[in-house]
Amino acid sequence: MQELRFNPITGEWVIVSTATQRRPVRPSNVECPICPGGMEFPDVESYDIVVFENRYPSLLRNPPEVESNGIFKKKRAFGVCEVIVYTKDHNSSLSRMPLGQIEKLIRVWKDRTRDLYSLDFVKYVFIFENRGKEVGASLSHPHGQIYAFPFVPKRIEAKVEAMRKWYEENESCPVCDVLKNEDGERTVYENDSFIALVPFYARFPYEVHIYPKRHISTILELSEDEESDLARSIKTVVMKYDKLFDQEFPYMMMLFQSPLKEDVDHFFHFHIEFNPPKRDKDKIKWMASVETGTWTFINPVAPEEAARRLREVKV
Amino acid sequence: MRIFGRKVSKEFFSIIDKNFSLNWSIEKVHLGFSVKGFVRGKPGKVEVLRMDAPKRVLAGGWQSWSNFKVLDTKGQTFKSRDWKYRDTPVPSEKHLSDYFIAFEGTVVGFLSSRFAHPYFEVEDDQIVAYLDYFDSYFEEYIPIEPLVVLEAKSTPLILEIYSRMIAKENHVVLRKEKPIGWSSWYQYFSNLEWPDVLMNLEMAGEFPIEVFQIDDSYEMDIGDWYETKPGFPSLEIIAETIKERGFKPGIWLAPFSVSESSKIFKEHPNWVVKENGKPKVAYRNWGKDVYALDLSNEEVLNWLQDLFYNLRKMGYEFFKIDFLFAGAIPGERKTAESPIASYKRGMKVIKKVAGGAFILGCGAPLVPSAGLVDGMRISEDTAPYWDAENEEISAKYALRNGITRYFFHKRLWYNDPDCLILRDDSRLSKEQRKIYALVSGTLDGLIFLSDDLRKLSEDERNLLKKALDISGGKPRVENVMDDSMRYEITSRGSRSGNVHLVVDLESSEYKLEVDNSFRIDKREKLRDDGRKFYFYGEVS
Ligand SMILES: [Zn+2]
Ligand SMILES: [Zn+2]
Repeated sequence: MQELRFNPITGEWVIVSTATQRRPVRPSNVECPICPGGMEFPDVESYDIVVFENRYPSLLRNPPEVESNGIFKKKRAFGVCEVIVYTKDHNSSLSRMPLGQIEKLIRVWKDRTRDLYSLDFVKYVFIFENRGKEVGASLSHPHGQIYAFPFVPKRIEAKVEAMRKWYEENESCPVCDVLKNEDGERTVYENDSFIALVPFYARFPYEVHIYPKRHISTILELSEDEESDLARSIKTVVMKYDKLFDQEFPYMMMLFQSPLKEDVDHFFHFHIEFNPPKRDKDKIKWMASVETGTWTFINPVAPEEAARRLREVKV
Repeated sequence: MRIFGRKVSKEFFSIIDKNFSLNWSIEKVHLGFSVKGFVRGKPGKVEVLRMDAPKRVLAGGWQSWSNFKVLDTKGQTFKSRDWKYRDTPVPSEKHLSDYFIAFEGTVVGFLSSRFAHPYFEVEDDQIVAYLDYFDSYFEEYIPIEPLVVLEAKSTPLILEIYSRMIAKENHVVLRKEKPIGWSSWYQYFSNLEWPDVLMNLEMAGEFPIEVFQIDDSYEMDIGDWYETKPGFPSLEIIAETIKERGFKPGIWLAPFSVSESSKIFKEHPNWVVKENGKPKVAYRNWGKDVYALDLSNEEVLNWLQDLFYNLRKMGYEFFKIDFLFAGAIPGERKTAESPIASYKRGMKVIKKVAGGAFILGCGAPLVPSAGLVDGMRISEDTAPYWDAENEEISAKYALRNGITRYFFHKRLWYNDPDCLILRDDSRLSKEQRKIYALVSGTLDGLIFLSDDLRKLSEDERNLLKKALDISGGKPRVENVMDDSMRYEITSRGSRSGNVHLVVDLESSEYKLEVDNSFRIDKREKLRDDGRKFYFYGEVS
């Protein structure tokens, strides 16, 4: 079963996708499925960066027809789910990859954004990486994912609406205003075009946001110089994370671009969020009832303190 | 600012006039406010808003062919051109603009034209927005055309937002495909002959053409669409021949027009819009008086429905429907319906029967067509020469409208900047042809060729390729309020990256920059299980 179901209590769409990995798969003597020669690349000796459509996607280019019934509203599960393999090196990571490779990755993100938005059913392109078993990543080979949604997801909509409201009241974008008022206390890293900081409103103990200093709403607008500044920002943040507790730091990295097909670019400021689940070396900050049920986060570490610790990690 | 003669406040108001009653309220919208309401009775011409006139406004007429440009509000007197309805259905010396006006960071505009015609006049130092319901009478309350006043720091931004609001108000759903095509008009005009069609069909496979469209030329008379001129095969055979060569058959027609000499007019003299009980001349063209079909008449609508049903059945997949304004001219109709409501009725019939095909509007009232066409001509015809006196038909002024009306694109429909003329035997210089192609590409509109395809050299084919390569982005005219004919156009995320194009329509000079920040090698592979794989960067 693959379909979208509407929840009239919260106004959100749920993807029901029961495709399971039961189908037989050609066996391979390379254990990692996304290494060259692995299950996904049986005849490939090497590659640089590869994007491929998920073997068991939750959203489909040609989803089955559905029928709604009154309050039980359904929609076809249009969309695309892709995997981005960052490099052929199984043991690499954003912290260990050469900068040039991350710059190339940014160009791939751009190409995917443009490509996927050209599909008529795509309303939002979401680029992300789950790293570590703590956030459910099963493969350690460096990779990220892309979901091209047939609707603007709820939290994106919340961001759009909050930024719209701020803009209407202040005639400026809230991220631009944050940047005008940051005094460095929460800064983790900074270069000519980007700033990485633990935001004033961090929800997770070591949450870091990367904001472009120039008001842009999608990565499509990045210049060549900005691409390399962004690559350096991402690498530095992940290097600091890895050294913080001397372990591969788990995180969710998410790119928030504006919904390109709507006219919201004037107030939507592109940003990257790192949401790491760790509160300490051996402690996890769980998404429990309060967080999941009420969308209210209790952050046990003061953002200023987290920023100081991350700032002091020398990389 | 005064609305319906009152000071603006956030309340609900009503007006009871001897001829009509009107309820209205003000609501906050993103970056401004809207005026909405309901009216019944015989409203005629209603003043909606009155404000101090800014010095200069971006303004223009109601339909595809009307100029859209910066105007001085002082000393501006409207001059009706040879065809009265080329500019507005409500010509007067005070006329300034139809539907909306823009000035530095502000748009004042109507979001729909369902029953009334919305427009702006200059009265002394003031601009007045009106809704004209003509002579129509409404038994029940109908919604008035909503008006918005929007403000932001940037004029292009506010125009884009306004355009999106019109789209939402009219439930626009953009069509999936934006075809590339060929049209016979700017090479052959009305002298097209069947062998020209066959020859170009043979050549068309060498170009990325999907739609092959026969323009004005094949028909016996305006209105007698089923009958082809001597030398042409039947409409069925025309469609079949195009389809056999692997292209989508496209055809031109002026579905709301009938000429004085046509059989249809002779058989049904009562099917047309009248004035003082006599058929009213909507316009003159082809050396003839042309009348407008009365789209409030069910018999006419049935005929229209049959026409498009039959054309679809013959295999036509692209309709360039022209001189559409005729359907909306003021005059006497069978019912008391407003000209605008009649127009929309006719357009809905076409969409209902032919909606599977691509519908390109031309010579069409803009706002009433939102949601009823897939593509829209947003300029007067282009021409195989650059300039003309009094801003008459020429490539330069067609292109200016393509630039100044860029913000409709992909919000209301796909903009049609009119065909590219690439061949080098016209009076257009190489630079002028380049400018037309590159601007059209950057602005991402429809790309149609209109040349004898044998004449296109390697250079000209490459220019077409270049225009397509820089399309696909999100375009913006940064200085749309500039009246110097020098425009700065950007496009984010085109097929080749971010585009920056500065073009001077006066000197025919341009500077095109496409950044490198998109360049990456990509090889696409389709797996046996149907999944797509993209190998980026160095591939070994
Ligand atoms: Zn691996
Ligand atoms: Zn900003």
